[in-house]
Amino acid sequence: MVARKTSASETPKMEPPVVLVVDDDASMREALNDLFGSVGLNTLLFDSAPALLQSKLPDAPSCLVLDIRLPGVSGLDFQSQLVSSNINIPVVMMTGHGDIPMTVRAMKAGAIDFLTKPFRDQDMLDAVAQAIDRDRKRREKDKEMADVRALYDQLTPREREIMALVTSGLMNKQVAAEVGLSEITVKIHRGHVMRKMAVRSLADLVRLAELLDLNPGKISRV
Amino acid sequence: MLGFPLAAVAFSLVIFVIDAFVNIHIAIAVLYVGVVLLSLNFCERTGILAVTFGCISLAVLALVIQHGFDPSKEALARLLFSVVAITITGLLIARISSTTETLRDQAELLDLTHDAIFVRNMNDVITYWNRGAEKLYGWTAQEALGKNSRYLTRTSLPAPYEQIRQQLFETGHWEGELVHYKRDGTNITVASRWSLQRDERGVPAAILESNTNIEDRKVAQEKLMHAQSELAHVVRVSTLGELTASIAHEVNQPLAAIVTSGEACLRWLANGTEHIDRVKLGLERIIQNGQRASDVVRRLRALAKKDDFKRADLDLNEIIEDTLPLVQREILRNRISLTLTLAPNMPLIQGDRIHLQQVIINLLVNAIQAMSDVAHDRRLVIETTVNDEAKAVVSVRDNGHGFAPDQQNRLFGAFFTTKTNGMGMGLSISRSIIDAHGGRIWASLNEDGGATFRFCIPTQTELVS
Repeated sequence: MVARKTSASETPKMEPPVVLVVDDDASMREALNDLFGSVGLNTLLFDSAPALLQSKLPDAPSCLVLDIRLPGVSGLDFQSQLVSSNINIPVVMMTGHGDIPMTVRAMKAGAIDFLTKPFRDQDMLDAVAQAIDRDRKRREKDKEMADVRALYDQLTPREREIMALVTSGLMNKQVAAEVGLSEITVKIHRGHVMRKMAVRSLADLVRLAELLDLNPGKISRV
Repeated sequence: MLGFPLAAVAFSLVIFVIDAFVNIHIAIAVLYVGVVLLSLNFCERTGILAVTFGCISLAVLALVIQHGFDPSKEALARLLFSVVAITITGLLIARISSTTETLRDQAELLDLTHDAIFVRNMNDVITYWNRGAEKLYGWTAQEALGKNSRYLTRTSLPAPYEQIRQQLFETGHWEGELVHYKRDGTNITVASRWSLQRDERGVPAAILESNTNIEDRKVAQEKLMHAQSELAHVVRVSTLGELTASIAHEVNQPLAAIVTSGEACLRWLANGTEHIDRVKLGLERIIQNGQRASDVVRRLRALAKKDDFKRADLDLNEIIEDTLPLVQREILRNRISLTLTLAPNMPLIQGDRIHLQQVIINLLVNAIQAMSDVAHDRRLVIETTVNDEAKAVVSVRDNGHGFAPDQQNRLFGAFFTTKTNGMGMGLSISRSIIDAHGGRIWASLNEDGGATFRFCIPTQTELVS
């Protein structure tokens, strides 16, 4: 673990995951609620896509179990909407009778699985577990990213410049020549960068720079 | 039949012999009146007049034979007296004869018709029975006359007898269908027309009943009805075919819920017995959904069934609510907003449930398909009302592409369709179904786009009033 605030990155693991169910059929919603309840998963039930969009979603690893045929906005259209508005909840798609084009479209848009009703409970639970796992990982990554970004934001413009150049593989001397400072000053800045970014080795710093997608050209514009 | 002329000739001979050869000083020739009267039985008008003239000639001849060409005044007076009596009788008889002839001609005309015609007095005793009646029922006039017509033919009336009689007294006429039994014990349906005959004082005197055998017509009509139901069935099944995807979903949905609930129950049970309430809840849902699936199947089976027209008391609101689940999915799938406005306390109508469901499904499917090229805001309005004539009205309104004004009259014709793969039978069948219910179906264009299809059916309250 690179980030110092390890507690922050571990909190999501403790948050109970939530399954968001969108189906216009009340009995299907209730049955899914029962099924997920029996394995200790929390659920939120919605009868339409707009109903889900209008409500406040929980800050927890979650997945969306979506019926492909919904009144108003269809499941497939809703999935596209989510993708285009950068909502990255993994989707498990359900359908009464799926045809191949439908399946292809759903999977291309990033659906975890495509289940035909009636499905085997284990298939659904496996798909949901996989989806939640993926979401949890995404959330962890997002969290780490946010932490690194917060550390990076503490750097001064000069330190950012030095960090970019150092992590691009230049020696202190080369960096000094590049920015027109003495080698000593570069060393001091570099020390500040290492401390502020909470890393001990250059290798760790390089990894963070990759995470932040830094390159010298970018930095000069900051 | 030869008896009457022979008797007349014999009688005239006797009179002539006595008149000509026996001197008794009385006006024996007056007895020729008897001969003239007898002639009524075998002569018509001219014959009677000839007989009268013959009798007068015989009387004159007898006078000449007995008294020569110079008879006494008394003999002449006797002759004159006889001639006057014979002439008056002859003329009267001739007139009666011509009246009887007219009557007989009329009676023959009645005999010529194929209709069964009989007259009965106000106590239903038959007083006239034509040949048509003899042929239709099998009883001869002699057998029928004097009998009570209602007992003889075991008449089944379409309404209480008192009611029919009342109408007859008020309007002088009554028409309706009756079932009569024939002499051989079989029954026949006849179209019956009654007219009331009044005497000169205006008191009802007799009823003329004219009956036409409509058994053939009825059989043909029944065959037609049967053919129509067969056709309706074919169209119904093909409409259901169009709805297959929707209906399959409608059955699959509860089945999927059952499977999932069942599996959830097993998992709750595997977790131990403390979640027995969740298991109970799940089982209740399973039962509910099982019934839901079987309801869809029941509706479907009823619609797919091949059945002849059946009449029952029906609530149109209930029929609409029962029909909607079959097309609900189609409405959702096409993103149509449905408004259902059902009149409270809808009066009952008489009709066939399945056939009316078929009409409603047909109108709904048409409306849904008419809106397929409307980009957004598709609206379907189903409404029931009772109009001023106390008829139940169902209207189905869409905002689809409507129809061209010149198509209005052809919409309900057979094989007329605006769909690329339509049979053009739906509305045509719908119309014959509504016709069979004594109702009317029509279409109109909405001012703000789309079309409205309506049908109305007489209600029980209307029929009573």
